Amino acid sequence: MIAVEELSVSYGAVQALRGVSFRAETGMITAVLGANGAGKTTLLRTISGLKEPVKGTITLDEHSLVRERPENIARLGVGHVPEGRGVISEFTVEENLRLGAMMAKVNLSDGLNEQYERFPVLGERRKQHAAKLSGGERQMLAMARALIAQPTVLLLDEPSLGLAPLVTAQLMHAIRDLCASKSLTVILVEQNATTALRISDYAVILYLGRVVANDAAANIVADEDLREHYLGKVE
Amino acid sequence: MQWILARRRVAVTAGLVVVAVVVTALTASSVRDGVALGVALAVAITGVATLTIAGLREAHPVLARAALTVVVLDASLFATYFFSSITNFNLAIGAAMSIVLLGLSFLTGASGQISLGNSAFMGVGALAVAIWANHHASTPIVVTLLIAVVSGALVGLLLGLPATRLRGPYLAGMTLAFAVAFTAIVNSFSSWTGGDAGLQLPTAVTPPNWLSSLFNAQTSLLTVNTMWLADITIVVTGVAFFFMANLFASRTGRAMRLIRDNDVAAELVGVSLPRTRVIAFMVSSAYAALGGALWTLINNSVSPPTYSLALSITILSLVVIGGIGTIPGALIGGLIYAYSTNVISWFTAHTGINPQGNLASQLPGIIFGGLLILTMLFAPMGIVGAVRRLWAKRRVRSAT
Amino acid sequence: MDAFLTSRIISDILAGLTNGVIYGLVALSLVLVWRSTRILNFAQGAMPMFAAYVGMVVFAHELGYWPLVGISILAGFTVGGVTERVLVRHLYGKPEINPIVVMVGFLIVLEGVAAAIWSTTPRGIPNPFSPIDWQLGGKPVSLSPFSVYEIVTGLVVMTLIAVLFRFTKLGLQLRASALAPEVSRLLGVRVGRMLTLGWILSTGVGTICTVLVASNFFTGLTPQVMDGIFAFGFIAAAVGGLDSPVGAIVAGVSIGIILQFVGDYVNSNAIILTALIILIVSLMVRPNGLFTKSSARRV
Ligand SMILES: Nc1ncnc2c1ncn2[C@@H]1O[C@H](COP(=O)(O)OP(=O)(O)OP(=O)(O)O)[C@@H](O)[C@H]1O
Ligand SMILES: [Mg+2]
Repeated sequence: MIAVEELSVSYGAVQALRGVSFRAETGMITAVLGANGAGKTTLLRTISGLKEPVKGTITLDEHSLVRERPENIARLGVGHVPEGRGVISEFTVEENLRLGAMMAKVNLSDGLNEQYERFPVLGERRKQHAAKLSGGERQMLAMARALIAQPTVLLLDEPSLGLAPLVTAQLMHAIRDLCASKSLTVILVEQNATTALRISDYAVILYLGRVVANDAAANIVADEDLREHYLGKVE
Repeated sequence: MQWILARRRVAVTAGLVVVAVVVTALTASSVRDGVALGVALAVAITGVATLTIAGLREAHPVLARAALTVVVLDASLFATYFFSSITNFNLAIGAAMSIVLLGLSFLTGASGQISLGNSAFMGVGALAVAIWANHHASTPIVVTLLIAVVSGALVGLLLGLPATRLRGPYLAGMTLAFAVAFTAIVNSFSSWTGGDAGLQLPTAVTPPNWLSSLFNAQTSLLTVNTMWLADITIVVTGVAFFFMANLFASRTGRAMRLIRDNDVAAELVGVSLPRTRVIAFMVSSAYAALGGALWTLINNSVSPPTYSLALSITILSLVVIGGIGTIPGALIGGLIYAYSTNVISWFTAHTGINPQGNLASQLPGIIFGGLLILTMLFAPMGIVGAVRRLWAKRRVRSAT
Repeated sequence: MDAFLTSRIISDILAGLTNGVIYGLVALSLVLVWRSTRILNFAQGAMPMFAAYVGMVVFAHELGYWPLVGISILAGFTVGGVTERVLVRHLYGKPEINPIVVMVGFLIVLEGVAAAIWSTTPRGIPNPFSPIDWQLGGKPVSLSPFSVYEIVTGLVVMTLIAVLFRFTKLGLQLRASALAPEVSRLLGVRVGRMLTLGWILSTGVGTICTVLVASNFFTGLTPQVMDGIFAFGFIAAAVGGLDSPVGAIVAGVSIGIILQFVGDYVNSNAIILTALIILIVSLMVRPNGLFTKSSARRV
C-alpha cells in the first residue's frame, strides 16, 4: 500500500502539487486523472524519487520514500513505466529486459520466458533494436521490463498514449489481470478517463495540483458534476 | 531649452579647460611637464563633460563609449609618463595580453565556444609582424599591426570552418591540437620563421623625434623607448576595446548571445549559425594575433616556443578569473598577467619556498590552474561577476 | 620474404601500429568518459601520468617491474574515482564549457604538482623488454620485443573492455547509465556508481597506456609525457566518433600508421600538421565521427 500525505512539489516558482493526500491499496488499481498540467506525472516522479518534494510524506508499507534515491525505491519493489515509455532504443529488446531484471530475485531466463509468454511479440523480436518497435510494442516492452523485476507497486504514466483504442482495451485488460494475479498496487495515470475508470477500483482527480475528488471509481463515474467539470465527457 | 543647456555646457567646459591649462602652465616646473599635464587635463575635462551629458548613453551609445575610451586612454597615457621603464614594460605586456583576453572572452561569453588555440593565434600575429618587418622594414606600425590582424583572422577562418558545425568539446580539442602543433608548423617553415630560434625585428620601434626632444638629455633612452611602446600598446588596446564594446552591443553580438543560449531558437529567428560562429571565431583569432604582434614590437623579437599550450591555458585562466564575457574582466586579467610574476616571486620570498627549486618554478601553473578550477566551481562569472553580485546585494539592502 | 619484412613499407606499418595502439588506448579512455558523462576530459593524459608517477617512482626502488605496473594501475583507478567523486560531480548539468575549463585547470595543476615533486627530468623505467629491433638477414624489422609488448597489451586491454561492455551485467548497466540515466535509475541501476566506474575504468586504461609510454626506453616518464599523445588520442577519438569505442581504436591505429608514413616520407614536423588536417577534414565531412551512426546525435 502507498500512502501519500500532504505532498507539495514545486519547480522553482511553479507549484505542481499542493498538499496532495491519497492512498493506493494493495491489489487495487488507483487511477489518477486530470487535465494536462494537473500534476500527474509530477506525482509519479515524486513517488519514485526522481523529484524531491517540498513537504509531505510518502510511505510504502512501512518505508518512507521521501528523500530516498530512485534506485533504492526501485529496489524496494516500485516499478515505474515513465511517460513516453523510456525504452532504450539503442538496446535490443532483450537487453532492455535484462536491464529490467537486474535486481530481480528470480532466474533471468525464467523471467525472460515469462515475459515472452505474456507478450509473444517481444519474444519474436528479442534480438531487434528497440528503435524498430511500433508504439504499442514499445509499450509492451516497457511494461515487460517493469514486470520482470517482480515489483509490488506499479506506476504507469499514460500507458495508452498513442495506442489504437483496441490495443488500449487489451492493455487495460492486461493491467487488470496482472493486478489481480500478483496482488500488485497499481497507480494508473491516464488522460483517457473512460477507459481508466472502467478497470480501476479507486480514482483520484487532480486539478492544478490539488485533489478535487478521491473516491471509488464507480462513484466518480456516477458523479455527473465532477465528470463535467474535470474530465470532460465520460460515457 | 536643450540647445541652451548644451551651449552652457560647452562654455563651462571651455572655461574649465582654459583655467586648467593656464594654472598648469604657470605652476609646472618645466615646459615639458606643463604641456603634458595641460593636454591631459584638457582632454580629461572635455571627455568627462561629454560623458556626463544626461541621456547620452541611451541616445548615442557609440559616442558615449568613445568618450569613455578617450578618458581612460588619457589617464593611462599620462600615468606612463611617470612610471619607471620596468612598470611601463609590464604595463605594455599586460595591455597587449588584455586584447587577447578580450578576444577569447568575446568568443566564449558571446557565443559559448571555447578555444585553447589562442596562444598559437598570438604566435601567428607575432610572427607575421616579424616576417613582414624583415622584408619591408619601413612599413608604418599601424599597417604592420593590421597585417598581423588580417593573418590572424585568415588562419582563424581556416580553422573556424569546421567550427561552424562543432560544439564546445570538439572545438576545444581541435584548437588544443592546433596549439600543440604550432611549434612544429613554425619549424616546417623555418626559412621564413626562423624555427625555434625565432626572429629579431630589423629595427627597434623608437619614438618620433618630437617626442624624444621633449625629454631632458638625462632621461635614458630606455625610459623614453619603453614609455613610447607602452603608449602605443595602450592606444591600440583602447581602440580594440572600443571596437569590441560596439560589437558586443551590435546585432551580430546579440545574434551570438542568442546562439549561445539556444541555437535552435536562434536559427528560427533567422540567425545564420555557421556564419555567426565563424565570425566569432575569426574575431577572437584576430584579437589574439594583434596581442601577439604587440608583444613582438615590445620585445623587439619573437620566440615561437613562448606560444605554447601552457600560454593558451594561462589565457583561459585569466579570462575565467576576470569574468567571461565582460569587458572589465579582460582588463583585470591583463593586469593580473602583468603583475603575476612579481606577485608570485613575492609569495615565494615570503613563504620561504626555495626560489630556484622545482616548486617555485611550477607555482604559476599550479596557482593559475587552481584558481581556474575554484573560480569555475564557486564563482563562474569571475571577479567581475562576484563584484556585480555584491553590488546588487548592497543596492537591494540599502533600498529596503 | 626477409626483404619484404624489412622493406620500408612494412617497417612503417609496424612502427605505426605500435604508436597507433597507444593513440587508440588514449582515444578509448576518452570515449569511456565521454559516453558515460558527456565530458571531454582534458586531464585524460595528466591523471594517468600522476598515477604512473605514484606507482613507478614512489615505489620504484623496492619492487620489480610487474608489481609497479600493478600499483600504477591501482593508483590510476584511485585517481579516476576520486576525481569523479570530488571534482566532476559538481559539473554534471552545467554549461558544457564548465567541465572543459575545470579539467584544463586540473591538467595544469597535476602537471605542476608532479613537476614540483618529481622534477621534469625524464625517469627511465627499467623493464624486461629490449627496445632493440629484431634483425632479419642483417637488416632491422622495426619491431622489438618492447613494441610487441606494447601492441599485445593494447589489444588485450581493448578486448577486455569490449567483453566487459558487451557481455557482462555490469557492462549493460554502464551502457544504460550513459544512454538513459533516469530510466536506469528507475530500474534500480546505481547510476552514480556507474559514472564513477566509468571514470575509474577510463583512467585505468589511460594508466596502462601511460605506463607503456613511460616504459619506452627512449621516452621515460615526465610530467608532460602525455601532452602530445593526448592531442593524437583526441584526434583519433574525434575522427572515430567520441561515442564509438570501436571507432576510437580503429582511428587510433590508422592515424598511427598514416603518421608514420608521413614522418618517414616527408619529415617529422609534418606529422602533427597532417594530424590536424585529418582532424579538420574529417570533422567537416562527418562532424559526429566516421563510426557514429549519423542519426545518433547532433554535435
Ligand atoms: N521540469 C519542469 N520544470 C518546470 N515546470 C515543470 C516541469 N515539469 C512539469 N512542470 C510543471 O508542473 C505542472 C505539472 O506538470 P505535470 O507534468 O506533472 O503534468 P501532467 O498532469 O503530467 O500533464 P500531462 O497530462 O500533460 O502529462 C505543469 O504546470 C508543468 O508546467
Ligand atoms: Mg504527464
